[in-house]
Amino acid sequence: MSGGIRNLARKQDVILNAICVLLATVFLVLALGNLSWAGNFLTIDSLFMTAVCLFLAGVFMINPALWAHEQGLFAAEDANHPPAVDLHFEGTTKLFLSILGALLGLTLVEVLLAYFKVPLTLMLTILLGLSLIKAALIVAYFMHLRFERMSLILTVVPMLVVCICLLLVFFPDGRRSLKLRTYGDRPAPAAAATEHE
Amino acid sequence: MSTHAHVESAPTADWGGGTLPYRVGHRKLGMWLFIVSDALTFSALLIGYSYVRLSSDAWATPFKFSPSILFSTTMTLCLLASSFTMVMAVRASAHGKKRVARRWIGGTMLGGLAFLVLHIYEWNHLIGEGLRPFALPAEWLKETPHASPLFGATFFAITGLHMFHVFTGFCYLGIVALRIRKISHEDLEISGLYWHFVDLVWMFVFPLIYLLSVDFKG
Repeated sequence: MSGGIRNLARKQDVILNAICVLLATVFLVLALGNLSWAGNFLTIDSLFMTAVCLFLAGVFMINPALWAHEQGLFAAEDANHPPAVDLHFEGTTKLFLSILGALLGLTLVEVLLAYFKVPLTLMLTILLGLSLIKAALIVAYFMHLRFERMSLILTVVPMLVVCICLLLVFFPDGRRSLKLRTYGDRPAPAAAATEHE
Repeated sequence: MSTHAHVESAPTADWGGGTLPYRVGHRKLGMWLFIVSDALTFSALLIGYSYVRLSSDAWATPFKFSPSILFSTTMTLCLLASSFTMVMAVRASAHGKKRVARRWIGGTMLGGLAFLVLHIYEWNHLIGEGLRPFALPAEWLKETPHASPLFGATFFAITGLHMFHVFTGFCYLGIVALRIRKISHEDLEISGLYWHFVDLVWMFVFPLIYLLSVDFKG
């Protein structure tokens, strides 16, 4: 009896994962097709379409990948990790010192950017990149997330990233409101406006 | 110690469920969820700041490399060093050395205190120059005409909220250090999580608020 139910559940798993893989493939095809359909690939619209399609393909691949992982398809990779049941705080003083060194080094690079007065847009891009690396180092090693269970990482990290990315929706409006502004008799300070791209 | 026993008996499959599906205690999971929500608060504030700056005609960039940027770099170093001492405290506690852990926590609190003192000194200096939440000092306006007065609002709101977090963490660590014999290792680790998060937020506040406000013309 229970064997029959297990077989049914297994069949359902296979069907569900097949649907997921199919949808992921469709979105992957759409993303790749966009490469050729879009006349000029390097436009905001085209890049957005590609990013959304790739993102959706990735989302649909999560379940099959996890299922495959559960079935032991990627078991070879996991063999290196012992089943982490010990509560010991992993990491040595040397590891933490090298993380501290990396953080200090990245901070130094950031401060040097300010010292050489790199143009604002370029500086913003580099600073954000470096800060993300620093944040990842802190979360992974100091906050110990790298050594936690995968389920905790999946609960905490993706939703935070997605929510923060959703907040970026405000920026086009910021630029629009700059152009909408009226100045009465005063001339628009156009030179200053372009400085803040 | 009873939680340790639970942890070891938990199933090892990641999606297997069981008593501790995340293999962390409920307090630690709560701290993680708090950190996520607090990270969203700070990212909303920082994105609000970026929005205001992007949609302004002009934005004041008043911080001279020396002394302003060097001063805030020193604050950053204090916070980074305190983060390192905190991780050493957690490590010592994991090996059962509570006295050593207490000493490391003392070092962490010292770093946090140095940060707070330097930060309050800086605020004092800026307020003395005439920076208010909705008004810029006259000299800054001379350098950058039509600069948005919201510089003060964003600066005080973001660094103020962060300062409040550092202060809270300072008190939190003080309590942990006093009660270190009574609390479990995981509770100490949770206080470490909070402290690292405060450090993490500063890793975004420092470049976006300070370094991007360096005096580009000077």
